[in-house]
Amino acid sequence: MLPIIFRRFISLPFVLLAVTFLTFIVSYLAPGDPILSLMGNQRDPVIYERLRTIYGLDLPWYEQYVRYIGGLLQGDLGLSFRFAQRPVIDLLRDGLAVSFGLGVTALSLSVLIGVPLGLIAALNHDTVIERGVMALILALYAIPSFVLIPMLQWLNYQVYLAAGSALPAAGWGRPEHWVMPTIVLSAASLGYIARVTRASVREELRQDYIRTARSKGLAERRVRWVHMFRNALLPILTVIGPAIAFLVTGAFVVESLFSIPGVGFLSVQAISQRDYPVIQGTTVILAFSVVVMNLITDLLYSVIDPRVRVDG
Amino acid sequence: MKSLRTRSLFFLSVLLVLVTVLSPVAAQDTTTLRWSIEGITDVVSLDPARATDAQGFTVIGLLHAGLVRLSGDLLVEPDLAESWEISEDGLTYTFTLREGAAFSDGSPITAADVVWSFTHALDPSTGAWTGPYLLSNIVGSDELVAGETTELSGVVALDDRTVQISVKQPSAYFLSQLTFGPSKIVSSAAVEASPDTWDQAAVTSGAFSVAEWNRGQGLVLVPNTFYWQPASQLSQLEIVFNQDSETAYQLFRTGELDIMGGAQNPIPAARVPEVRDSADFRSTNAFNVRYVAFNNTLPPFDDVRVRQAFSHATDRATLAEIVLDGTVLATDRILPPGMPGSEAPVAGLEYNPAGAQALLAEAGVDPASLELVLSYGVEGDNERIVTVLQAMWQENLGITVTLDPLELSTFSSRLNDTYNDPSTGLQAYYSVWGTIYPDPQYFLSQILQTDVGNNNGHYSNAEFDALTQEADVITDDYARRIELYNQAEQIAVSEVGWLTLFNGQVNVLVRECVEGVEVTGLFSAYVVPDFSALRGCPAA
Repeated sequence: MLPIIFRRFISLPFVLLAVTFLTFIVSYLAPGDPILSLMGNQRDPVIYERLRTIYGLDLPWYEQYVRYIGGLLQGDLGLSFRFAQRPVIDLLRDGLAVSFGLGVTALSLSVLIGVPLGLIAALNHDTVIERGVMALILALYAIPSFVLIPMLQWLNYQVYLAAGSALPAAGWGRPEHWVMPTIVLSAASLGYIARVTRASVREELRQDYIRTARSKGLAERRVRWVHMFRNALLPILTVIGPAIAFLVTGAFVVESLFSIPGVGFLSVQAISQRDYPVIQGTTVILAFSVVVMNLITDLLYSVIDPRVRVDG
Repeated sequence: MKSLRTRSLFFLSVLLVLVTVLSPVAAQDTTTLRWSIEGITDVVSLDPARATDAQGFTVIGLLHAGLVRLSGDLLVEPDLAESWEISEDGLTYTFTLREGAAFSDGSPITAADVVWSFTHALDPSTGAWTGPYLLSNIVGSDELVAGETTELSGVVALDDRTVQISVKQPSAYFLSQLTFGPSKIVSSAAVEASPDTWDQAAVTSGAFSVAEWNRGQGLVLVPNTFYWQPASQLSQLEIVFNQDSETAYQLFRTGELDIMGGAQNPIPAARVPEVRDSADFRSTNAFNVRYVAFNNTLPPFDDVRVRQAFSHATDRATLAEIVLDGTVLATDRILPPGMPGSEAPVAGLEYNPAGAQALLAEAGVDPASLELVLSYGVEGDNERIVTVLQAMWQENLGITVTLDPLELSTFSSRLNDTYNDPSTGLQAYYSVWGTIYPDPQYFLSQILQTDVGNNNGHYSNAEFDALTQEADVITDDYARRIELYNQAEQIAVSEVGWLTLFNGQVNVLVRECVEGVEVTGLFSAYVVPDFSALRGCPAA
C-alpha cells in the first residue's frame, strides 16, 4: 500500500504543474492589459512601467512562468493586482479555513442525510415513501443554488415579517450565519449522494449473496446491515470525490451571495477584476485539494473493500 | 410535484423558524451604526496612499482627516488645518494646524507629519497612482514619483503648526484635490514602524479608528476621542462588505443594516420600485455622465457637422425615460446637475432627425456609405444602451452602425492605443466619466483640452483650451471662473466634443432614524459633515 501512496504523491506535482501552466498561459494570453485596467483613467506612463516591473509583466512569458513556479515552491503565490501588492497567499490563507470548514460541514451533512434518505427510498421500493423521498432528492439535486438562495431568503424575509427576527440573510462570524449557506451548499451533493445510495442499495439487494443470506434464515436486519450495507457503501464512497467538486463550484455562488469570506468569494471578485495572480492562486489550491481528496477517497476505497487495490 | 415542493418548502420553513427561535437574538446596541459597502470583498488598503477603490476611500474618509475636507454642500472647509493663506500669485499655500491636534494614539499631529504624509502619497515604492495623479501640481512631485529624489521639495514644515505647500501653477481646484484620499494625514511613526501592515490596526487622524478588521467581512470602527471635533456618539460603526448588492438588500430588509448602496453599486434596479416610496430611500444625481466620443482625427468625424448630426439624431429622452425606465436623467450637456458650474445653463442640440440628415448632406457624407463601429466595454446596461443608439442612428441617419463589444481590460487598452495613435484607434466609443472631487475642471479641462491625458477622441478647439486654462487658475473669483467654464462647455456641446447621453442616479437606502449622513453624487457617495451628529437607530 505504501508504494502506491508514494506513486500517487509523485504524480501530484505533474498534475499541479499542468494546472499552473494552463492557468498561467490563459491569463497571459487573455486580451487587454491588467495594469491599464487597474489604473483606469489615471494612467501615468512612469507609474505604469513601474507597476509592470513590480509584477514582472515586463519579462518574457517563460521567465514570468519560471518565476511563478519558483515562488510557488516556496509557498509564494505572487502579488495581488487589486489589493495593492498584497501577497496572494495572505489573501487566501484565512479564506481557505472558512471554505474548508463550510465544505466539510456541508459534505458531512450531505452524507449524514443523503445516505439514510437513499436507504429509505431503496428499502421502501415502489411505495409512496420512495416516491416522496425521490421527489425531494431530485428537487434538491436539480434546483441550482442561485435559485435556492433567493427562495430561502424570501422565506427568511417572511419569517422576519411574521416574527420580527430571522436568520441573518448573509454575513459571517456567528453560528447562525452557517445555517442557510450549509443548507444550500449541501443540497446538490445531498441529492446526488442519496440518488447513488438508492441505486447502489437496490443493486446489492438483487445480488445472489443476499438471497443466500436470507435463505440461511438470517434475520432481515442482519442481512441488511451486516451483509448488504457494507457492499452498498462502496459506490457511495466513489461519488464523494465528485461531490467535492459540487461543493467547490457551489462555494463560488454560495460564498458570493452570502458574503462569506472564503476562497470562492475572493475568486469571483478576482475574476471580475482580472486579478490574475489571485485567480491562479485559487485555481492551484482548489486543484490541489481536489487531487488530494480524490486520493483519500481511493485509499478509503481499498480499506472498505480489501479486493480493491489502488493501482497508481 | 407541486405538493412536494410545497412540502419541502414547509420543511425548510420549519427548520428556519426553529433555528431562529433557538439562536440568541443578536443584541442591537442603540449606538451602533451598520453600514454596508457593496461591490467588494474587502477594501484594497486603509493606507490613504495605497488605496485605489472608491469603497476604500469611503472608509478612509471616516478614518483619516486631511488639512481640509468637504462640507455637506461640497465646499472646502477646514479640517486639521484651522486656517490657510494663499499667496498673491496663487503659488503658495500656508496652512496652520489646529492647536492640540492629535492622532488616535494621542501623539500630536505636527507639520512634519503633513510633510511626511504627502511624501508618502507620492512615494514610488508604494506602487500607488492616485496620489501622483491628484497631487501632480505640487512642486517636486514629478521628481519624487520618478524616483530621482526621496524628498518632496514643495511641502515644507515652517514650524510645528505651520506647513507650506508650493504648487507649479495657480489652481482653483487644488484645495478640492486636498480633500480626497491621498492627501489625508497619517502618523509617520506608525507607518514607519510597520510600513506594509500599519493600516491593519491603524493609528488614525480622523473621526474613527479601527477596532477590528475582519478580512473579507468588514471593519469595526470606534470613535477617535482625539479628533478635534466632539467625538461621535456612536459606540461603534460596523462596516460590512457585500460583493453583491442583492445580498446587502436582503440584509437591509431583515433589519441587519442601517445604510446600503453607493455611487458605483446602487440598490439593485429591480428593487427600486419596491422601495421608492419608503422613507429609507434616498436618491440623488450622480456626478457622472455617459457619453459617446468620436475619433476627431478620422474622417468624417473631423467635420463638426457630422458630429452634430449624430447628436441631433439621438433621442436622449426616450433612452432615459423608456429604455432605462426613468432610472437615469437625460442630459445634453457635460456637467452633471448639482456640480458647481452646472447652475449656468447650456443650450444642447435638440432631437431633430431631419436636421441631422441635412447636416450629413451638407458635410458631403453619403449615409449609405458611412459605416460606424461603436466600441464599448461589456458591463452593466451598456449592451442595452448601445443597441438603442445603433437603432436610432441607423433609422435617423440611414447609416450602418456595427457594435464592437470589448472585454473591459481590452477596452482600456484600446482607449490607450487610441490616445497614443488615433490613426489606428477606435472610431467611436461609449463610456462613462465620473468625478472624485466636485469641480468643473474635472469634467471639462481634464477631458477635452487638446491632448490632455483623457482626451481619447482628440477633440481640439483653441478657444475651449484658452477659456478652460484661464478658468483653471482663477482662485479668487468664483463667478468669473464659472462664466468661463460655461462658455467653454457651450463650445464643447455645440461642437459635440462629447455626445453626452445621461447622468446616473445614486440610489441608496439609509434607515430613516439614521442622522448625520449626506448622500451626494460623488464617487464615494456619502459625506458626514459633522461626526458628532452621526446617530444610529434605537434598538427595534
